[in-house]
Amino acid sequence: MSRGVSDLTSARWDDDDALLTELRAALDVPAVPEHVVAAAKAAYTWRTIDEELAFAVLVYDSSLDDSALVRGEGPRTLLFEGDQLSVEIEVTEQSVIGQLIPPGPGRITLTNPAGPVAETDADEVGCFVLPRPGRGAVRLICRCGEDALCTPWLPL
Amino acid sequence: MLGTRTNTDLVEAAARGDQDGWDEIVQRYLPLVFSVIRRYRLSSKDAEDVSQTVWLRLVEHLDAIREPRALPMWIATTTRNEALRLVTAHRRTTPVDPLNTSALDAEVDSAALDEELLRAERQQAIRDGLAELSPRHRELLLLLVVDPPLSYEEIGARLGMPVGSIGPTRARCLARLRGSSAVQVFLSAGRDMDVTGGERLDFSTVG
Repeated sequence: MSRGVSDLTSARWDDDDALLTELRAALDVPAVPEHVVAAAKAAYTWRTIDEELAFAVLVYDSSLDDSALVRGEGPRTLLFEGDQLSVEIEVTEQSVIGQLIPPGPGRITLTNPAGPVAETDADEVGCFVLPRPGRGAVRLICRCGEDALCTPWLPL
Repeated sequence: MLGTRTNTDLVEAAARGDQDGWDEIVQRYLPLVFSVIRRYRLSSKDAEDVSQTVWLRLVEHLDAIREPRALPMWIATTTRNEALRLVTAHRRTTPVDPLNTSALDAEVDSAALDEELLRAERQQAIRDGLAELSPRHRELLLLLVVDPPLSYEEIGARLGMPVGSIGPTRARCLARLRGSSAVQVFLSAGRDMDVTGGERLDFSTVG
């Protein structure tokens, strides 16, 4: 690959041989499996997500925390913040354990790009446990009274 | 079919709800996503997860892309960040492999990402330019770059073309490719693209 880079950056557009070399490289695109192409196209169906859902922002992810105390210890924890409602989760090997903030009962849905994979109630203090799904991107949709929150996609 | 719509058209179409516009963005930039991923030596499953996350995020980011020429940069950067996150996560759960420093190298080398991006854009322009050529010209160019290479005799036999005319036709096809609107758009955009760095001079000297 490094050979290709130096060839290409020095390539001149007015040189026929160089242009043919560029063409050869341009046609040598990484092979992307058909189901990956299909999945990427299908992602677009999420364009029409419920309008009433507020999007939460990921404000903390222990897997990105470089402080020595956190590094390599314990399950991954994440905090998603919305305007009215926030949610903190811990991803263990078997489960997704979480709590709504402010604490209170609600309905929690875990969904992957194809649709909901698990659903549960949050108790009076907003705590919930969901089975951890297999690999791939998931998101939580939390409904608590009038408020509804949708986390960004999170690859597990 | 290829290369008729600009990034601006495609992003606007996709933001409006046009699935075809979205599909074309995917076709155009999946190779970029995978060429960035390739540097991190992820398993194919991990690579697929990264790709899926990038596209899911882009769906929600479409309205925020005010300058559609920034699209490939957004895609490349998001892909890199997501791939790096996976590499970092793996490094924490597995003993450090002293031989595998590629991810660390990539982490510090953001110039490599710029280069990747520029190459992807250039190669897309060339593929789009190729699609603009007549079928016969396209066929000749494709035969000229096959691996292993064909002799002019073989190419002449396949196309029913006298061997003596292949050289001049080759030059004409390449001139058409160079003059194709896809390549011309790329070259004119390249002049003020920040990421081109030292290559800017090369582009502006093209007449």
